[in-house]
Amino acid sequence: MKPTGVLFFPAFDWAISPTHPEREERLLYTRDQIFEEGIMDLPQIREYHPRLATAKEISRVHFCVPDVETRVTQAHLVSAGSALVMADAFMNGEVQNAFAIIRPPGHHAMTVCHGNRGFCDINNEAVMVEYLRQKHGLKRIAIVDTDVHHGDGTQEIFWHDPDVLFISFHQDGRTLYPGSGFTDELGGPLAYGTTINIPMAPRTTDEGIHYILDNLVLPILEEFKPDLVINSAGQDNHYSDPLANMSFTAQGYAVLNQKLRPDIAVLEGGYSVETALPYINMGIIMAMAGIDFSNLREPDYNPARFKESPNNMQYIKSLVNKQLENFRTRGERVEKNRSQGKEFETIMKNVFYDTDYLHEEQRLDLRLCKDCCGFRRISSSATQKNGRYYSVFCVSLPAACCPSCAEQARKSYQDMKDKPIYNYIYLQDRIKDEFRCLDTTTGEETIL
Amino acid sequence: MLIGIDVGGTFTDGVLFSGSSVLRSVKQITDETNLQKTLLEVLDELLAHAAKPVRRIVLSTTLVTNALATGQGERTALLLIPGSGLPYSAYRISPDTWILKGGIDFRGREIERPDKKEVDQALAEIDALGIKRVAVAGKFSNRNDLHERMVRDIINNRYPDMQVCISNEISGRLNFPRRAVTCYYTAMTLSEWNRFADEIEKAVKDRAPGSELHILKADGGTMTLEASRKQPCETVFSGPAASTMGAVALTREKANSVVVDIGGTTTDISLLIEGEPLYASRGALIRGHLTHVNSFAIDSIPLGGDSTIWVENQELKIGPMRRDVAACFGGVSPTVTDAFSVLLELGLGDAQASRAGLQEVAGQLGTEIGELCQRIVNNVIQQLTRSIVYMFTQWENEPAYKVWEVINKKSFVLHRVIGIGAAAPAIIPLLARELDVGHFLHRYSPVANAVGAALVRPTLAVEVHVDTQNGVYTVSPGGLRGEVTQRNFQLQDAKELASKYLAEIGKKRGMKGYADQGQFYLEEQFNVIRGWDRAGRLFDVGIQIAPGFIPEYEGVTE
Repeated sequence: MKPTGVLFFPAFDWAISPTHPEREERLLYTRDQIFEEGIMDLPQIREYHPRLATAKEISRVHFCVPDVETRVTQAHLVSAGSALVMADAFMNGEVQNAFAIIRPPGHHAMTVCHGNRGFCDINNEAVMVEYLRQKHGLKRIAIVDTDVHHGDGTQEIFWHDPDVLFISFHQDGRTLYPGSGFTDELGGPLAYGTTINIPMAPRTTDEGIHYILDNLVLPILEEFKPDLVINSAGQDNHYSDPLANMSFTAQGYAVLNQKLRPDIAVLEGGYSVETALPYINMGIIMAMAGIDFSNLREPDYNPARFKESPNNMQYIKSLVNKQLENFRTRGERVEKNRSQGKEFETIMKNVFYDTDYLHEEQRLDLRLCKDCCGFRRISSSATQKNGRYYSVFCVSLPAACCPSCAEQARKSYQDMKDKPIYNYIYLQDRIKDEFRCLDTTTGEETIL
Repeated sequence: MLIGIDVGGTFTDGVLFSGSSVLRSVKQITDETNLQKTLLEVLDELLAHAAKPVRRIVLSTTLVTNALATGQGERTALLLIPGSGLPYSAYRISPDTWILKGGIDFRGREIERPDKKEVDQALAEIDALGIKRVAVAGKFSNRNDLHERMVRDIINNRYPDMQVCISNEISGRLNFPRRAVTCYYTAMTLSEWNRFADEIEKAVKDRAPGSELHILKADGGTMTLEASRKQPCETVFSGPAASTMGAVALTREKANSVVVDIGGTTTDISLLIEGEPLYASRGALIRGHLTHVNSFAIDSIPLGGDSTIWVENQELKIGPMRRDVAACFGGVSPTVTDAFSVLLELGLGDAQASRAGLQEVAGQLGTEIGELCQRIVNNVIQQLTRSIVYMFTQWENEPAYKVWEVINKKSFVLHRVIGIGAAAPAIIPLLARELDVGHFLHRYSPVANAVGAALVRPTLAVEVHVDTQNGVYTVSPGGLRGEVTQRNFQLQDAKELASKYLAEIGKKRGMKGYADQGQFYLEEQFNVIRGWDRAGRLFDVGIQIAPGFIPEYEGVTE
């Protein structure tokens, strides 16, 4: 039996601010627990060394404004790079599965990046998905986001990508940041039904979450047949988390991972640094490595403490049925959208960056292509934290881009080069694996 | 005058050292059944040549290593207090293990009390089995050893003839299984080591009254015989440490080197990073278990100068066994040394004997002697190179927990190969050429281990963990504990506390004169934030008297 890969990167020298939940102390007690347990010494575990992600690896997903070097801290590059180390370890067959216990987290980071939102700059899982596709030739990937907060960044990045199944269960957006992730958010016109949201009522317990897992998540994973399953492993559904209101336990998390059997798990949020994280992280490692976790419990664990209410179970059951149907009818819906005869679908939106407190205005045009999921043109503007205003134009080719979309997308970039109405113009060419950025003020183009 | 003696598995080496030269060196075959006899014979021969009184004698011995490796230690019961976490089946340390209730967390808070009835029951069972040695280890006992002490007190009261070791007194580092193993091995070898210590102490007193007697540790430093009585496990793997420190003593340069100690049957490889020996990041591995014994990172491969060259099923075999010395030195069959001697025309010993032996093997394989020697040499160089490269990458790929560690990723650039051991002169020059660096051989290379033992100074590492929210600190080694009352306690205060304990513990261990040599190797501080306010601070500070040499040592004449 191959070992489970573990990359523990607690970033003991990085914090958003000294008292912020995302501070040096966050994984300190997890360190104490996993080191004291000696779990890294077991033959079932293999520990890995982190690395920095490159600007190119980041650019496969993000449009960092103005560029990766300016936008992204080194801590974020190490965090994203660590996920890639785990991807390589898994794909090279060194490990049976892998868990990146890393910070800073990433699942609120979106395609265009003007700053930090929800403690995230860079979407670690998304960077890993495009890396797995480019370097290891994978196509279909499923991401199950088990963080208590809706993984709105990951959702946005893969909103138009039918080859990435994104499932997020989280505390109802009416009661918690980021205030999204409702059942009617099902994906873009050509990727409808491969985004599945499961908003849960506050105080939902192990029982409720496991019902969702058994009756919705596992069946649709089975039907989707992904090449690889990622757990975007937030730990803030825990009953002691200070930022949320759920009633999940460390045992619950361990069982979840035992059933889900993710190929790669990547830590996201979780801010109960003493009472939850040390035990949940142990639980996930043990479950992934096939080690009996029945002796694992929080100091105040009481199995009789949380009981699912009949009302909530009722709600969960109807939610599961509704989303199963949405998933299963996705093919017809996509065909209908495609045959509308429209050339482009336009979406206008405003994105709020809570950590950095800034607003981004965005317009997205998706080509409703007959042969692929369509290329995207995004124009975006925001006044960043340092007071500078940026207006940028981005063109993105999907990983499975058809020749006609590729040609049009590249032409859009070329055409825009002659119109200096934006500060920066970007081309994300995933087919050529080439990433261009034109600074219209200096006329300088960089190619990664 | 100084004496260093390294009792190794095959040979015992000793040197008498004075000023900057070796006055006398002795190499003798080790009598495995009576280490003490070999040791005293070597000591007597060295003392016979000492014109002046010997000030200091340092011994490195495989006594504890052997006792543990062959399972000759005394039957020892292990009482574990693991609390929540890994399944109990993960702790396969002692066949006589009892699991007790009780739990402490990472902040030293009591989660569950031990059940005294259960402790009584376990002790009654241990007593009924006639077991007299007990090791007690609790998870997070390094943060609070209340439960370990509680169990020890019960044993001391009820069973005064049982000898008890508690894990927190042996090591205060995180890693419960390693702490439990180290405690268990300590309890297991304590009596045997103390018997040996008694006898050696008496023998030395008779022979060299007034000289200090020190024992070499796996970390390349010495401890007094008295200090060793409580921690026999520290003496394991002191032989390879002696060689590595011998290499440092002979070269005295701040370069990145690989030390290759080529003995008769094995080769030990260690790294010097800017002249400092590299430690095994996970502690010494003893009988398949990682421990908290601080030891150098040594890769040992079953290949030496005396590895026999033979043929099996028409295939060339190199070792791993040793029959005798090389044919050129009168051995019965050709060895690795013979092959190097012939190929490189080194003319070692009786060159004719080398050729004759190798010719016979070449005949069996239907090849030429030159071709055969080339194959042997290539194979040996390849094995050594592979091991060296493996050690580099292991070091480079050690986990990193801070952003700056990843940004400033370390990489190993080799400057030099240092050859140690009797077979080094034949093999090292070619190995260095293969690695494209220079090499270093010294006329004392064959007894570098004993030179190292004679010259190294004491070492001591003290770690302090301070929790200002709970108002306590703990100190390792020794499992000391105290209160923090000072408001606004800072990192500087934690460092002063560590320095104070280094001086105190050092004094107790007969390390006068070294207290001001402490270097900080660990400085961590974390704010404990509850709500949006600071509720306290956590500090981890480590200070050590690192491996080095006694002040009077100023180099060895070439």
